[in-house]
Amino acid sequence: MKYTTFNPKRTNPLVEPMFFGNPVNVARYDQQKHPIFEKLIEKQISFFWRPEEVDVSKDRVDFQSLSESEKHIFISNLKYQTLLDSVQGRSPNIAFLPILSLPELETWTETWSFFETIHSRSYTHILRNLFADPSPIFDDIVANEHIKKRAGDISKYYDDLIFLTQLWQTQGEGVHTIDGVAYTVTMRELKKKLFLCMNSVNALEAIRFYVSFACTFAFAERELMEGNSKIIRLIARDENLHLTSTQHILNLWIKGKDDPEMAEIAEELKDEAKAIFMLAVDQEKEWASYLFEQGSMIGLNKDILCQYVEYIANHRMSAIGMGQPFDISTNPLPWMNNYLNSDNVQVAPQESEISSYLVGQIDSEVNADDFGDFDL
Amino acid sequence: MSEPQKQYVITLSDHISIQHDPKDTVLESLEKQNIDIHYHCREGFCGACRSKLLEGEVDYTTDPLAFIDDDEFLPCCTKPVGDIKIKIEQ
Repeated sequence: MKYTTFNPKRTNPLVEPMFFGNPVNVARYDQQKHPIFEKLIEKQISFFWRPEEVDVSKDRVDFQSLSESEKHIFISNLKYQTLLDSVQGRSPNIAFLPILSLPELETWTETWSFFETIHSRSYTHILRNLFADPSPIFDDIVANEHIKKRAGDISKYYDDLIFLTQLWQTQGEGVHTIDGVAYTVTMRELKKKLFLCMNSVNALEAIRFYVSFACTFAFAERELMEGNSKIIRLIARDENLHLTSTQHILNLWIKGKDDPEMAEIAEELKDEAKAIFMLAVDQEKEWASYLFEQGSMIGLNKDILCQYVEYIANHRMSAIGMGQPFDISTNPLPWMNNYLNSDNVQVAPQESEISSYLVGQIDSEVNADDFGDFDL
Repeated sequence: MSEPQKQYVITLSDHISIQHDPKDTVLESLEKQNIDIHYHCREGFCGACRSKLLEGEVDYTTDPLAFIDDDEFLPCCTKPVGDIKIKIEQ
């Protein structure tokens, strides 16, 4: 089916499936088939922030005082995060927008991608502050074997879906030979690619960021690189919201609350979807080994980080009906909670200097029992 | 100053019972008793504190955005409306 930017056919978006129904025509938000996406848009917009609001100038001094192994950890994580957000800043738009059928989900996708571009801009903000010329850092992202290996697995599912969608939109269903390779295009096949892609995106948002988040916050626990930590907190808050959206999409399919064929496909590809998640877990553990190959940092080592990946994976996998495959029930990095708490996220420059800003605030709530030991 | 509200009991699956203070969320009540529980946003959008509600009912203090299954709830943005029994992740 040829894509059209404005479908002139009168459609009822309240009965369309999320994907592969009629293309969206009127961008209207007064009614939604799945109100959750409208709420996510509102929430995400309320989180708007700009990297320049966070003062990272003190980080330059901190960075000079880090050991070589700590510099390696810090810079490698920034490279990997830059890669992840480079992919996420464009891919949901390119892969999902052409096949979406609900206005609220279309706008959510655009809002989501836009925030990923803010994240990309903040890595440039951080790196420009640390280095007179950040080019060697950016250049290494496409040269570093450890990063490239994971980039392939992240972009593969997007690329498969995008390519098959292009064939379907230009040639329709059937068998099409491109450069000597025969591709079978059916609606079932397209939906399968979509399901696997969404699982891959969900795994990305669920765990791929968390090894680097943990390292960033471990520096902040030592009052180092606090400007960077402030930015990563804002990014983590956004990523939490993105994860919520992919969990909702997957569960709407799995529970048969959207397209009934997607419920069948979810059952059929259950093992493959789980394998995508497990591969992401393994790759994050490998990344932890690479980070610490030149030595560890105070407060964090490879083993604790791997345990944290398993702990987070258990939680994220159970949210989409994949059970809890890892034998770990307590959080090995409990201080992470404080950094991921949205109450502690502040952007005002004067506040970024003070990591304990909230501690001294006044509790204005007065209850009767506060006067309990008060005599006249 | 509002009327003192009724105190309810929160029972955990491992048979620990605590009193709920009406001005607290379930999460705050657990923390006051030094019971470790996983949380991130504390606003109902991330789902990190997602727990099982085994018995009883809760009221949401804010509209939860995180995905929660039929038998689950978010301790960070709920108050009990009667005695409840829950299973949490630490």
